[in-house]
Amino acid sequence: MGKLLEVKDLAVSFQTYFGEVEAVRGVSFHVDKGETVALVGESGCGKSVTANSIMQLLPMPPAFYKNGQIIFEGEDIVKKSDKEMQKIRGNKISMIFQDPMTSLNPTMKIGKQIIEGILKHQKLSRHEAKKKAIEMLELVSVPQPEKRINQYPHEFSGGMRQRVMIALAMVSNPELLIADEPTTALDVTVQAQILDLMKQIQDKLGTAIILITHDLGVVADISDRVIVMYAGKIMEEGTTDEIFKNPKHPYTRKLLGSVPRLDMDRNESLHSIEGTPPDLYRPPKGCPFFDRCDKAMVICKDHMPNKEYHSDSHYSYCWLNHPMAKAADEGSEI
Amino acid sequence: MVEPLISVRNVKKYFDVGKGKTLKAVDGISFDIYPGETFGLVGESGCGKSTAGRTIIRLYEPTDGETIFNGRNIYELSRHEMQEVRRDFQMIFQDPYASLNPRMSVLDIIAEPLDIHKAYKNHRERYNRVIELLKLVGLNEEHAQRFPHEFSGGQRQRIGIARALALNPKFIVCDEPISALDVSIQAQVVNLLKKLQKEFGLTYLFIAHDLSMVRYISDRVGVMYLGHMMELATSEELYNNPIHPYTQALLSAIPIPDPEIQRNRHRIMLEGDVPSPIDPKPNCRFVDRCRHATERCRRETPEFREIKENHFVACHRADEILRGSLK
Amino acid sequence: MSDMTYTKDMFQKVKRESYHADEIKRPTIKYWADVWRRLKMNKLAMAGLIILIIMGIMSIIGPHLSGFDYKEQDYSQVNIRPNSTYWFGTDELGRDLFSRAWLGTRYSLLIGIAAALIDFGIGVIYGGIAGISSRKVDAIMMRIAEVIYSIPYMLVVVLISVVFSTAGSGTSMFVLIFAMTITGWVPMANLVRGQVLQLREFEYSMASESLGASKGWILRKHIIPNSFGPILVNVTLTIPRAIFSEATLSFMGLGLQLPKPSLGTLANDGLAVMPIGLFYQILIPSILISLIMFSFNVLGDGLRDALDPRLRK
Repeated sequence: MGKLLEVKDLAVSFQTYFGEVEAVRGVSFHVDKGETVALVGESGCGKSVTANSIMQLLPMPPAFYKNGQIIFEGEDIVKKSDKEMQKIRGNKISMIFQDPMTSLNPTMKIGKQIIEGILKHQKLSRHEAKKKAIEMLELVSVPQPEKRINQYPHEFSGGMRQRVMIALAMVSNPELLIADEPTTALDVTVQAQILDLMKQIQDKLGTAIILITHDLGVVADISDRVIVMYAGKIMEEGTTDEIFKNPKHPYTRKLLGSVPRLDMDRNESLHSIEGTPPDLYRPPKGCPFFDRCDKAMVICKDHMPNKEYHSDSHYSYCWLNHPMAKAADEGSEI
Repeated sequence: MVEPLISVRNVKKYFDVGKGKTLKAVDGISFDIYPGETFGLVGESGCGKSTAGRTIIRLYEPTDGETIFNGRNIYELSRHEMQEVRRDFQMIFQDPYASLNPRMSVLDIIAEPLDIHKAYKNHRERYNRVIELLKLVGLNEEHAQRFPHEFSGGQRQRIGIARALALNPKFIVCDEPISALDVSIQAQVVNLLKKLQKEFGLTYLFIAHDLSMVRYISDRVGVMYLGHMMELATSEELYNNPIHPYTQALLSAIPIPDPEIQRNRHRIMLEGDVPSPIDPKPNCRFVDRCRHATERCRRETPEFREIKENHFVACHRADEILRGSLK
Repeated sequence: MSDMTYTKDMFQKVKRESYHADEIKRPTIKYWADVWRRLKMNKLAMAGLIILIIMGIMSIIGPHLSGFDYKEQDYSQVNIRPNSTYWFGTDELGRDLFSRAWLGTRYSLLIGIAAALIDFGIGVIYGGIAGISSRKVDAIMMRIAEVIYSIPYMLVVVLISVVFSTAGSGTSMFVLIFAMTITGWVPMANLVRGQVLQLREFEYSMASESLGASKGWILRKHIIPNSFGPILVNVTLTIPRAIFSEATLSFMGLGLQLPKPSLGTLANDGLAVMPIGLFYQILIPSILISLIMFSFNVLGDGLRDALDPRLRK
């Protein structure tokens, strides 16, 4: 098995004053022990909502689980109460966010916050907890941890704060770490440091990571598998190599083509995708990418494509996979 | 030799942050921008690039220095004369959610520059001009009556661009116009900017921290760090032959969306974070994180000079690096 | 899905002249319409609003409903408790309290609203200018405002009333309003200044400036329209304060010129007959004052919540 987390057919919606907004519309995937899975997509695609659902962090109402299961260690998280979830959060599954400033309490010393985190799930004396806190700061390469443990969040720089966040998250050696855009707000040189750190921690502690991001460079750097989401659904999934070298879905291809690369010719044009993602207030019946896809066919409008496997680990949802689709665009650029 | 459209000479912008401390956001930068080109200004947070952009179009009053446009230093112009110049200088802002007044309709937002400069004779003319501008950016007439909150980030940015074009400017400062947008929308906006540049012969100052994007869109690029310009060269030259240690580290830190290449890259890791621009010492700003730093770097700010043709660097050890005697 | 029959024409490429992807599907909802909708959901605020509307209507037609004139004195009908002829009873001069109470409401509301509006006018102009000016000018202006505000309010009011009023018969409405607003505009100015300072840093203000707009333009077109929310809330909360101030002044005998009644003067009159057990004469105006204050307060609170973008549902 080896499956740490299994999401089955998850559907999450929000009840708003003008109707239901379907943020996640039937998403299924799994995460194995010790691997890094990237959830990629643009804003509104549902990746953050999916991640927050795993931790049951969405305000309910207005959010609600419309359908599906999230199986972690044999139990369905969707069915758990908040009290039960508290035993899991920060303990077995941890999360780090984009903006460390708002996730850390500005009036509490860093050391205190870490110690509180430790004591919540582990039976240690204060003294032992303090020692562990210093160890955690060392783990994330915060220099002079014994001194910095008595400082406040605002005395740390952005990169340092993110390290503290990671320390806080790793305090109970969780099986799964969910990282929601952890480096988006950081400078590029600092981002490189944090990504490196995450890789080191994974090597050392065997933590599985779900990485949510829209930055394809970051994905190429640290993820093993990639899931591409659009408008609340999964469009394509595969290993990192498969997705980058052999993308099957038109959206994935366009996405890859719209990112300027340091090693590309400046005279090549960037692929952009016309228009904007569909409003999930009245989500389209068929393939959500229909409005913006230049390979769209009649069938795409009203019918959601079937899942088609390209290898054991690589699949996509697209009518172009169907034998009857005439377009043969293997290898040729869009 | 083509005359530069804009010449920036030793521009400084300091902020008084109380308790006698001074934040030197921009501490003496000089460069030229030529007509029709895109000049990219890059750097990480706190480097002063945004402040530089705003000071150059006199949105902020400079602490020192000159910005020369049409043969005149714009900082010496009267309010009335500056008003005229403003028709040629426009700006596009970073935050698509804050740069449009939420209470104004799209029609009024785009027409504002026309209203300020009284650039039309009657309502019909005003309306038609706005629709024309909307179409230029890929939106259409029905959008004119709507309000900003009904649009996505990318669409709002396009509205901002339409507004900037209203008076047919010569020069547009793009202050991180795509940072807040999704990747595929970034491409949309960048392609639009390029198209408009060709069509109207615009000159851009493109400020961003996304180096890959800057390289793609710019003809020449300047790298800033803590208020100083560290390196300036053409796009190709900068990315292929970076000389300044900071530029080198910066380039190696950018992840390339290709797993194989990314895995095999040699990375130069910088220690620590970007220090604060408050009351800096007269040193090379990069001295604390530079792997080639010497005593001289700690005492003396290096001169920004032309070390190769059209390639400027501010580094005491630039010659050694150029020769290849430093790794 | 698997038992769908596929035909060739389903797989025809779709031709596009233009992309519909930029269409906006959701209905436009204007800002104030949204605020109104949210306000409607707040039962307490709506109750306040309804009470105010009823009182407003009554203040207009009330004095004419009972058939008695407010200043008509009938010595045979002195101090009568509320009954079917005199719905609110009469006072010690035999005047119908029903008409007097509603007329009093009218004047109290007028004074309160007028004072609040004047505070609003002065405050917005003063605060707006202070906020948009340079730091030095702002500092000077605010110091002046502080000094004015630190003068004891009652002292000012009493002085002005005494100077301008005709002895014994109370103060004219204009003097009353003048006295109340002479220092009352400062909190509004502070509020507006705060709003201006904040909003001038917003990018749309900067954008306007980069387009060549003058400071006045930015203030008028961008900052003030976006400050209406907090300003409106402040105005609705100022009105009850002003009404209460007037009532207090009346209590001290500096109230509205006789024989015009205000709720304050009525309460004052009612106080005089309390010792002889005629409680209704003070109860009625007090209840009316309380209702007005309560209603404006809950309405103001409700407005504040309805305008708060974070509470958007």
